[in-house]
Amino acid sequence: MIAQLRLLLLVAFRSLWAHRVKSGIVGSILFFGTLLLVAGTSLLDSVSASMERSITGSLTGQIQVYDKNARDDLALFGGMSMGSTDLGEMPEFAKVEKELTAIEGVKAVVPMGVVNAMVMSGNELDLMLDRLRTAHRSGDREGLAQTKAQILGVAANIKEELGYRQAITSDKAKAAEEAAALEDVLSEAFWARLDTDPDGLLAFLDTRLAPLATDGRMYYLRLAGTDLGQFMEVFDRARIVEGTAIPQGKRGVLISHRTYEKLLKNKVAREFDAIKKARDEEGRLIATDNLLADQVARNARQYQRLLFQLDPGPARELTTRLQRYLGSQEADLGKLLQSFLALDDQSFDERYDWFYKEIGPHIRLHDLTVGDVITLRGFTQSGYLKSVNVRVYGTYEFTGLEKADIGTAINLTDLVTFRELYGKMTDAQRAELADIRTSVGVKEVSRESAEDALFGGGAAEAPVTEAVATGFDEFAGVEIARYADGPVLDERTYNAEEMRSGLALNAAVVLDDPTTMPAVKTLIEGQADKLGIQAVDWVSAAGMLGQLMVVVRIVLYVAVSIIFLVALVIINNTMVMATMDRIGEIGTMRAIGAQRSFVMGMFLLETLALGIVAGGAGAAAGVGLIEYLNRVGLPATGADIMVLIFSGPRLYPTWGLSNVGLGLGIIVLVSLIATFYPALLAARVSPRVALSGKE
Amino acid sequence: MTTPIISLENVTKNYALGSTVVTAVSGVSFVIREGEFTAIAGPSGSGKTALRNLIGCIDTASEGVVSVRGHNTAALSDRRLTRLRLDTIGFIFQNFNLINVLTVVQNVEFPLLLAGGLSSSERQERVNTLLAKVGLAQFAKHRPNELSGGQRQRVAIARALVTRPKLVLADEPTANLDSATGTQIIDLMHELNRNEKTTFLFSTHDHRIMDRAERLIQVADGRIASDEQVQR
Ligand SMILES: Nc1ncnc2c1ncn2[C@@H]1O[C@H](COP(=O)(O)OP(=O)(O)O)[C@@H](O)[C@H]1O
Ligand SMILES: [Mg+2]
Repeated sequence: MIAQLRLLLLVAFRSLWAHRVKSGIVGSILFFGTLLLVAGTSLLDSVSASMERSITGSLTGQIQVYDKNARDDLALFGGMSMGSTDLGEMPEFAKVEKELTAIEGVKAVVPMGVVNAMVMSGNELDLMLDRLRTAHRSGDREGLAQTKAQILGVAANIKEELGYRQAITSDKAKAAEEAAALEDVLSEAFWARLDTDPDGLLAFLDTRLAPLATDGRMYYLRLAGTDLGQFMEVFDRARIVEGTAIPQGKRGVLISHRTYEKLLKNKVAREFDAIKKARDEEGRLIATDNLLADQVARNARQYQRLLFQLDPGPARELTTRLQRYLGSQEADLGKLLQSFLALDDQSFDERYDWFYKEIGPHIRLHDLTVGDVITLRGFTQSGYLKSVNVRVYGTYEFTGLEKADIGTAINLTDLVTFRELYGKMTDAQRAELADIRTSVGVKEVSRESAEDALFGGGAAEAPVTEAVATGFDEFAGVEIARYADGPVLDERTYNAEEMRSGLALNAAVVLDDPTTMPAVKTLIEGQADKLGIQAVDWVSAAGMLGQLMVVVRIVLYVAVSIIFLVALVIINNTMVMATMDRIGEIGTMRAIGAQRSFVMGMFLLETLALGIVAGGAGAAAGVGLIEYLNRVGLPATGADIMVLIFSGPRLYPTWGLSNVGLGLGIIVLVSLIATFYPALLAARVSPRVALSGKE
Repeated sequence: MTTPIISLENVTKNYALGSTVVTAVSGVSFVIREGEFTAIAGPSGSGKTALRNLIGCIDTASEGVVSVRGHNTAALSDRRLTRLRLDTIGFIFQNFNLINVLTVVQNVEFPLLLAGGLSSSERQERVNTLLAKVGLAQFAKHRPNELSGGQRQRVAIARALVTRPKLVLADEPTANLDSATGTQIIDLMHELNRNEKTTFLFSTHDHRIMDRAERLIQVADGRIASDEQVQR
């Protein structure tokens, strides 16, 4: 038997060599097939592993638990529906935590709850009126003129807007009154009062113009309330970018850094960033790319976004600097800004730096700035709008997910603030509220209809138009006092017990060893009924981000199947041709006593040998490629989605024996399947052909 | 009288050629006994190869009985027929039919490896002895395409003999050789027949070759025209 096997091997290798062209074709397919398989599965595994680390190290942990009666699936990084989801509740988090931390292998259980809140940005006109007051007090005539110009600009904008509003209002008398006030402000006669009756003028602006101004921009923030101290400790991917973490026991918000830069940033600055990215990362040029040129032109038209934000002092200074920088005699700052923003490829980098150095510090770069106290408004479960005033302590990002919109659409807050916004009311509170409502005589606003009105069918991040937000609060219908100096910070602190004993919607279970996830999940499921919870793994808990991984995997499987099929067809055809070439030899072997099984074995062994040799070389090349990429890193070029998939700007892939085993296994299987039919043909060759004329 | 290795009783072989039937062998009966040195002679198309296929367990008879060492070949499976070929018959082909990817030694060793049962050293000894007998000891490591036609046919003879078969079948073994070489090959076979008692049955249409046989079976149109011992 061994001698026969040796003979088979000998014939196999000799035949492979004798039919070099055929072996070369089949061998190359097997070589590249294995290379692709080994490198591809290694890359995929590396991507999976780094995405797993990104996702589990950011928000989900390895396992998430939530109410077993939840009507919707948990989708922490956003799901298919952006409307409100019903995740049920875990009324006593402490109990869940106690049971789950007792399970072997559980490192931490982090309470969470996601809630949506609205935030209004500051009002430009209020700032201008302050400026006007200051300039008047200090007798700064130039500053007065500058601020006057700003106010006139805003008034003109309001007038335009008011035109639309008047068309749909039913209160014609009030509309006429508003229009008259605006006409007043826009007249030269009105501003003459700066000298004669400055107090009267200021009072008019405060009482008649200011109320017409829109309430600033409204932003819609997705907030995850959690034990922030524990969160920052357990989730190593979360890191503060600007500002500080929220001190223990304090209430506050950490804004996602990408939201901060992409949504809350001054329009002109954001446009600058986008053009820089297009030029630096995407290699586009203003000169050749029409879209980019349009973007530059649009940005120049937005100069008011800078102009309106400048205090008189900096405005004067900037005028001189811009004149010098642009070599211009132009005295109008607006015109100077416009020509500064009309830039080209040559001037871009310099002006970008100039912008952030000379203009940035004098404007409000972000609508919500680190350090601000902001008012979060959310619809409670009981259907009322609840406001909480908290400080923006800083911005944060999840390393690896920082460039992904989907991974950055979530902001962090403390659990107590979350609970207030979520607003599960006690019966006593409900009764009290009912009393107040009857006394002020407002109709109940149902949660659903109010939410529809507010979120308009669910745009995730887009700031919603201003007007709607006014007038809804916990005590609907009661006029909200305009904050004289911004919202008053809620200074109440809370202790650890208060925080952990209450309600959470879901909780991240973080494990000592991520590979024990399935086992621990089973253990948790054993407790699930008792605790009224369900457990899901991080892939499904991540929502769309988890789906992305599934998609990436499907793409690879499709690629593998294509390699599989192509290899199968080519190898099969080549081997059939080879069989035809070798009919004489096969007939001879059969005539002198070789069984059909011997002939089949010979053919199968031949491809097997080729598969092992070429596949082995391909696997080695694949491993080499991965090793090389591991050293230099594979850059995530192109779309941000690549950065998300790679969990960073570069992927440093690794390989494992399983990749090599799988690659070789698949390729050997493919070659055996592809050879089976030709081998069967060969085995059917009659010994008679050996005796006929031809050799 | 020695035992018969092969016996044909009223054997007919028909081939379907499209819609017509070609009768290659028709009502043939004869017996081949151990130690014979027999030639089957006849013109081209007379049915020599067809006979050879029947005797060599490559084809089975349409009518009549072909017995090889007492087995009716028509009753055997492909597997059994193959084994019977391996164990009983050595083949020598008109075109030598060596396996080109193997060396001379490996070609000769091939049937022994198929048969199994011998140790490596036993195989080695047999192969070397045979190569010496056919005068190719010094070409052991050569490939067939490095040898002349006569040398190749000697390798084929060694390969046919290596399993010590009861019968060696040679279908026109000299057809592709010049006449001098052909004569040498027949002489070698005859020598082996006398010294080793190997039974040979070879076919030919060359008169110089058939003259060397001890028994001559003449065929024409698939029938036996004459079957006689040659007097020397
Ligand atoms: N496989 C076959 N199919 C059809 N006809 C065949 C086949 N083998 C042989 N014959 C026919 O049988 C006859 C005898 O052929 P063959 O035995 O090859 O003659 P020889 O070997 O004496 O030249 C010829 O007419 C030939 O055409
Ligand atoms: Mg013939």
